[in-house]
Amino acid sequence: MSATRARTRTPRPAPRRRRSIPGRIALYGTLTLLLVVFAAPLLWALSGSFKPRGDIFDYPPTLVPDPATTENYRNLLTGQPFWSWFAISVVTALIATTVAVLVCALAGFAFAKYRFAGKKLLFGVMFSSLSVPFAVILVPLFILVVKSGLANPWFALVVPWVAPAFGIFMMQQYIIQSIPDEILEAARLDGAGEFGIFLRVVLPLLRPSLGALAVWQFLQSYNSFLWPLVLISDVDQYTLPLGLNILFRAESRAFDLVLPGAVLASVPTIAVFLLLRKQLLEGLSAGAVKG
Amino acid sequence: MASRGRQWAPYAFIAPFYLLYGLFMVVPIGVACYLSLTEWVGLGTPTFIGFANFTDLARDTSFHTALGNSLIFVLVSLFLVVPAALLIAQLLNTRGLRARDLFRVTFFIPMVLSPIVIALLYSLLLDREYGLVNSVLRALFGWGGADWLGDPTLAKVSISFVLLWRWTGYLTIFFLAALQAVPRELYESAELDGAGTVRQFTTVTLPAIRPVTAFVVVTSFIGAAQLFDEPYLITGGGPGEATLTVAQFVYRAAFERQQFGYAAAAGLVLFAVVFGLSQLLNRLLRIGRTA
Repeated sequence: MSATRARTRTPRPAPRRRRSIPGRIALYGTLTLLLVVFAAPLLWALSGSFKPRGDIFDYPPTLVPDPATTENYRNLLTGQPFWSWFAISVVTALIATTVAVLVCALAGFAFAKYRFAGKKLLFGVMFSSLSVPFAVILVPLFILVVKSGLANPWFALVVPWVAPAFGIFMMQQYIIQSIPDEILEAARLDGAGEFGIFLRVVLPLLRPSLGALAVWQFLQSYNSFLWPLVLISDVDQYTLPLGLNILFRAESRAFDLVLPGAVLASVPTIAVFLLLRKQLLEGLSAGAVKG
Repeated sequence: MASRGRQWAPYAFIAPFYLLYGLFMVVPIGVACYLSLTEWVGLGTPTFIGFANFTDLARDTSFHTALGNSLIFVLVSLFLVVPAALLIAQLLNTRGLRARDLFRVTFFIPMVLSPIVIALLYSLLLDREYGLVNSVLRALFGWGGADWLGDPTLAKVSISFVLLWRWTGYLTIFFLAALQAVPRELYESAELDGAGTVRQFTTVTLPAIRPVTAFVVVTSFIGAAQLFDEPYLITGGGPGEATLTVAQFVYRAAFERQQFGYAAAAGLVLFAVVFGLSQLLNRLLRIGRTA
């Protein structure tokens, strides 16, 4: 990416066709329209979460709530076990993310920097697991987890997210691009063991892409819906999406509770995404572009 | 000693992945194969019934509907979402574009939201009586009675729009990175040859971004073929079965009707189709080679 930017900065004798003024207006007009389409529903939900129940569906819609109230938030947080749902979602997502990042970095390192018998086949098997739809393992995995008595959320919610082939592929691509063989050889000459090299040489160099993978993995797990839906029947163990779902299904369609819930559920993911957007967006695309 | 460590290290590094892969993917698929040949309500021992589940599926009109709907959503993502993402990436790749990062990041945000949040938003927006969309239509055209989620055709359109809204910004990231990696010299020489914008797009851009296009096509296909969250949460598969997908069919059979064998069989059919087609696509488009 930096290469592209550097290239644009070098002076060019004759700049390629310049866009006309109407062309520019059309370009920015289209992009701004898209910006509204993508952002408006979110802003509207945010504003709705601060409106008294009767005002949520008012027409014409007002973006700034008048009168604004935090009562919806208070009702949600006092009347519902919101923080418990939130904690279960966050903690299980963190566990899944940690395990997945380690598993992926290790395997990605092996595929990127070692030659070994059966590598091609093993890589193919790993890669093909990307095309296994979750619906086929949903029923048998549920039965296995229940029959083996492991249906407690701390284990069962974590399990389907810990071995993502996409993450291995991403790590492998990144390691090939950014870790020269010479560094590994130098560490070996210093007498480092293979795992020591991974821990002390490779992991520190991988930091930006580990961040990308971690964010991605966290979002996958935090936002997952189908697996918790079949697995968790006890309301006390609900994840955040399940909790919002029962509020939403309640007979009165409690939008005044559901909207603040949606806002609170989205704030952490949007915040993490905005903080790490560079690593995530570039990490996601790097693998695919070179692959 | 050092060389022996080096010989075994890669196997040790990929072992955790294959262990998890075996336990949570291969074993469940094996169990699914066994279950699919049985009739089982979840209690007692499954009764072996041979291929009866599959012959029943072949006659089950609900299953046909689900296959048809999933096919519609696959076509929507391949022929609407993917081209839209490429088009937006093309706009974002305009030289000298200001606020590129603002557009890129905002378009991506729907992807970090939980499906339940998206479902809430669109249920609000598309509500027949109070929804913002109908209110705006009424104000602008004096007519706004469309039953966005209750009419069989409109419900499919609405779900398709949500897919477009959710996935386009995500796929744009991949296309934008690919477009930025196309050497500018290629365009300059094409222009010297007198190629116009369209010719440049077909002769320079498309071939250069082929690997990324392949990746995007395959992942979109796999994602859309196992679609569950959006239709389940927004329309509940309805009205009737107008937006019922295969993944929902599996869920409904197992967890609402206690037909675990039947559900496993339906899951296997989905698996066979998705896995087969994506292997074929991979081979045709040559992605996922070992580096």
